[in-house]
Order: sequence, then C-alpha cells, then structure tokens
Amino acid sequence: MTTETRANDVASYATAVRAALADLPVEEQTALLEDLEDHLAEIAAEADGTLVERLGPSETYGAELRAAYGAVHGQGGRRALPLQAMVASMAVRLRQAGWYRDVRAFVPSLRPAWWVLRGYLVVLLLTAMFSSGFNVRPIPNPFRSSGLLQLIATIIAIVISVRLGQRSRPRNHAVRLVGILGNTAIALLAIPILHSMSTTPFQDSAPVSDATPSFPGAYAGGGVTNIYPYSRDGKTLVDVLLYDQDGRPLVVDARGAGLTTAYPTGADGQPITNAYPQSQRQFDGTPIVRPRVAIPPWPSPSPSASPSP
Amino acid sequence: MDVDNSQLLKGVLDLAVLAVLGEKDSYGYDVVRRLRDQGLDSVGDASVYGTLRRLYQAGALNSYVVPSDEGPHRKYYGLNDRGRKTLDQSAKAWTSLSGALNKLLNGRSHKG
Repeated sequence: MTTETRANDVASYATAVRAALADLPVEEQTALLEDLEDHLAEIAAEADGTLVERLGPSETYGAELRAAYGAVHGQGGRRALPLQAMVASMAVRLRQAGWYRDVRAFVPSLRPAWWVLRGYLVVLLLTAMFSSGFNVRPIPNPFRSSGLLQLIATIIAIVISVRLGQRSRPRNHAVRLVGILGNTAIALLAIPILHSMSTTPFQDSAPVSDATPSFPGAYAGGGVTNIYPYSRDGKTLVDVLLYDQDGRPLVVDARGAGLTTAYPTGADGQPITNAYPQSQRQFDGTPIVRPRVAIPPWPSPSPSASPSP
Repeated sequence: MDVDNSQLLKGVLDLAVLAVLGEKDSYGYDVVRRLRDQGLDSVGDASVYGTLRRLYQAGALNSYVVPSDEGPHRKYYGLNDRGRKTLDQSAKAWTSLSGALNKLLNGRSHKG
C-alpha cells in the first residue's frame, strides 16, 4: 500500500469512527478521539491490508471504543442532543474535507495582515468617535494637522498591534476570551465607519455640488467647459442652443474642471443644458469671465458670390 | 461479546494495560501487541485505545510524542504516580479476588 492510499484509508476510517460516536458529548469526543488518526496510522504502518480488514467495520470499532471508554463517563454522562450530534458529526466531516484543511492551513498566514488592519481600524474608530463620524477618510490628509496626527497614531497603533499579535497566545482562558471579543468588536464597529467613509481624498470642505446632475446628451470633450458663440460680424450671441449630428443636446462637463454651472430653467421646470454661453463660477464663487477672442476677417462680398436676380 | 463479558473484560483490561505500561512506556499499538503476546488474544484494538484514553483522562497516565523517521509519530503512554498507585491497589485487589475465585472454581471442578 502506498503512503498516500494508507493516509486516505486512515482518514476515511477515522471519519467513519468519529461519525459513529458523534452522539457523545463534544468534550468526551475530543478527549477520546484526540489522537485517533495517529493511533490508526500506527496500526496502518504495522502491516499490510486495509484498516477495515484488520480492525473490522468502523461501526463495530466505534462501539467497542465507546464501551471501553464509557466505564467512567458512559451511562450517567450528559448525552448530546440529536441536533448537537448532527452538528458535531457535520463538523467532523468538515474537518476531514481536503479543501477545509487547505483553507485552515492557509488562513493563519493572513494573521499579520489582520494585525496591520487592526491597528489602522482602531485609529479610524477613534477618529470617527472624536470627529462625530463626519469626513472620515480612508487615508488622512497629511497636510492638515488633524490628518497628520491621525497618520502618526495609525503607525503607532499598527506597531503595537503587530507586537501584540507576535506574542505567544495567552494560556489563560479569560485573557483569550477578552482578545477574541476585542478583535470581533473592532471588526464589527469598523463596518459602519467604512460604509459611511468618504472616498474623495484631500478635498476637505469642498462643496462638490451635488445639485449638478449629469445630463443626458452628447458631451463635448477635449477639456471644453463652455462655448462662446459669436455672429459673423463679431457680435456676442447669448442663449444659443447647440445640438450634435444626431440631434442630441450638446453639453459640456465643467464639473471636472471644478466649475459650477447655473442653468436657465425652461417653462417645463427642466434645466436647459445646451444654451451657450453658460453662466459658470469657480468653487470659491468667482464668476468665469468671457475670454478674449479674435474674430477672423471675412472676405468682402464679391459680385459673383452674390448674384442678383 | 455480550455485555457481561465486556464489563468483566473492562475491569481486567484496565489492570492489564496498567501492568503492561508498568513494565515500560508504550504507544497504542505496542500495548495491543504486548497484551496479545501475553495470551490476551481476543483483546480488541479499540478496547485498548479506549482504555488508554480513559486512563489518561482519569489522570493515571502521562503521554508524550516520539518523532519517528519512518512511519508516523508515536504517542507514548506511561504511568505517573497516580497510575502506579492504581496499579498497586488493583493488583492487590485482583490477587485476592482471583485467589478466591480460583478456590471457588477449583471446588466446582473437583465436584464435577
């Protein structure tokens, strides 16, 4: 028998035995079956043949085990409820599953990542508490004193958190419980903060005009934020309606350049978004002034160009 | 094996396992083998393993793992003070009980 088939044989036999004893109280199962796999592996290594051939059916083995172990605990002991037994047996099956073992082996390697995240989240929580939950940003603005403070605190918290994580696990049950509860609390409390977090960094108190909707229509690209129409003879035109080749209103994106636009409102209450030039202001309220333009000289009308009837 | 017989063997098995471990520390399968070598042919592996676990839980044994180059690591069991005390008491009880039983059974066979 190869090492691999032997290991599989041990694993499946052990699973079956555990399933046969799944109705025992969980603590007794642990005490009794703690090193069952090791024991079965010893037997498997001693001679050839499957464990079923050498030990008999797993149910019988389980029953014998129960009888041998039950002298102290058996009859009077607290029996597991059917549901408890079912859950226990499911847990046992899960523990035997290959993918579960892979996941279990992998997850501990993520511990340092959690230590770092934990330090970051603690400072985030404190910041949210002291700034009454507003304007908490994923990365604090280092150019503001409060943001700089938050950054430094985050670094210190991460160092402390990692140091705590690197310490060997406390043996004391109460201490461990406090640790587990603390970690869980940090993770749970951080969820609403992360949810409400503003994701536009470094724009403190910027009145990003939520009132400026994005309009349907064809956008004039290339950094065009406004259009100034003139007549042939250089006179300024106002409220000129522009449309593209498909008849869609031609609109410009001035928000990207940090401008707010006041649109005229039509009789139907809808903003007219393609009337040019548009009245725009900077964020600080400064109105945008019309640029100087050079009107090209038109050719003087020639007799042949304007035939008279 | 009916219940009475298994109950009987259970009491004996505790003593047998303690006696085997009293000679020298052993791992599970080695205990089984040594019991069978001593003539307890019908002793089941599960019974021995269950007994070892029970004695360990009752605080009569200590255990330690011995790494092995070939094959699995082995969990050795050995008697601690409590285990040795239990072995002594049980051995005395067994000697007097078996002596009494032997007399009874001998008397029966003489009659028969």
